[in-house]
Amino acid sequence: MMMGDQFRKVEQYSPKSSPRGARSPVVSRQDSTGTLKTTISLGKNPSIVHSGPFYLMKEPPEGSELTGAKNLMAYYGLEHSYCKFSGKKLKEQLSSFVPNLPGVIDTPGIADNSSLRSVIDKPPICGKEILPLTSIQLAGFRLHPGPLPEQYRYVNQAPQKKHKKAHKKHKYKGNDSTSLEAMASDGGGDTHEKKHKKQKRHDEDKERKKRKKEKKKKKQKHSPEHNSGSGNITPNLQFSA
Amino acid sequence: MTAPLENLETQLEMFIENVRQIRIIVADFQPQGQNVLNQKIQTMVFGLQEIDKLKSQVQDVHVPLEVFDYIDQGRNPQLYTKDCIEKALTKNEQVKGKIDAYRKFKAHLLVELSSVFPNELAKYRAIRGDERPSS
Repeated sequence: MMMGDQFRKVEQYSPKSSPRGARSPVVSRQDSTGTLKTTISLGKNPSIVHSGPFYLMKEPPEGSELTGAKNLMAYYGLEHSYCKFSGKKLKEQLSSFVPNLPGVIDTPGIADNSSLRSVIDKPPICGKEILPLTSIQLAGFRLHPGPLPEQYRYVNQAPQKKHKKAHKKHKYKGNDSTSLEAMASDGGGDTHEKKHKKQKRHDEDKERKKRKKEKKKKKQKHSPEHNSGSGNITPNLQFSA
Repeated sequence: MTAPLENLETQLEMFIENVRQIRIIVADFQPQGQNVLNQKIQTMVFGLQEIDKLKSQVQDVHVPLEVFDYIDQGRNPQLYTKDCIEKALTKNEQVKGKIDAYRKFKAHLLVELSSVFPNELAKYRAIRGDERPSS
């Protein structure tokens, strides 16, 4: 019912029922039915469309074969990659991607001026031929015997394995107060602990012996032989009497 | 024949290993080690030459600049791949949802229009050819 009413209202204002009919107000046409109407569109792809009784009718855009309605992951054969990356939890550090690379690589590149971005921003001088060094040039690399100065010795030398081990130790020990320094002096700590344990055992043995002695004494006190023998009356007995 | 990328990877690994050995030699330098050091330096130059030669083989490999940001921050570049895949999948699902919604809307509109304007719709279908409500 509602639709019918709407339809009537629409029909009242439709071009057909307008005083000029379906005709354009400027161009006079002989075709009153509107079936011979054509739409001419210019531009890159000029076309003539027989639009019939419809205004502004254009050719529908060509439907492309590949749209977002398709599973593009499957279309491009990337399902394997998707499963690979979505399934497991990736480690955050760069070192887990290139585990064989020596040195510390997890620190930001800007810190030690080794960022890849800087290579793009300030490209190095290239184009020159790379030639092996002559003996004179190699003389520039003659070094003094001895270890490196302190400041250069530990650069890029923090081994990852050690760090992992330390972490494991920390985990298994379950000692919250242990720091890396404490780990370094781990040997000393152990001996101290052993000594402490020995001492504890010694103390415990002593206590046990004491308890045994006391028990023995008590037994002797409560035994009838002891009472009759000694002739002493315990305070308890006195009260009960 | 090995792939160009694998070849480059091998060369880079060899170069890095050579540099690592130089660092060990230099860390506590002994006078008799000078010849070995010189050899290592020359090997480094040859390594650079080899890497330079390989650049022509990897011209068609394009690396997104965003990956460099991940590496510069000391993060695993695979995380970038993961993020990209997840974003692409989300977008794909969104677009598919939109297309399906529009398809349903079109079908529903044609059904409704044909019930209200049957003659016009018949003409429209005649022009369009294959336009049928597919509800």
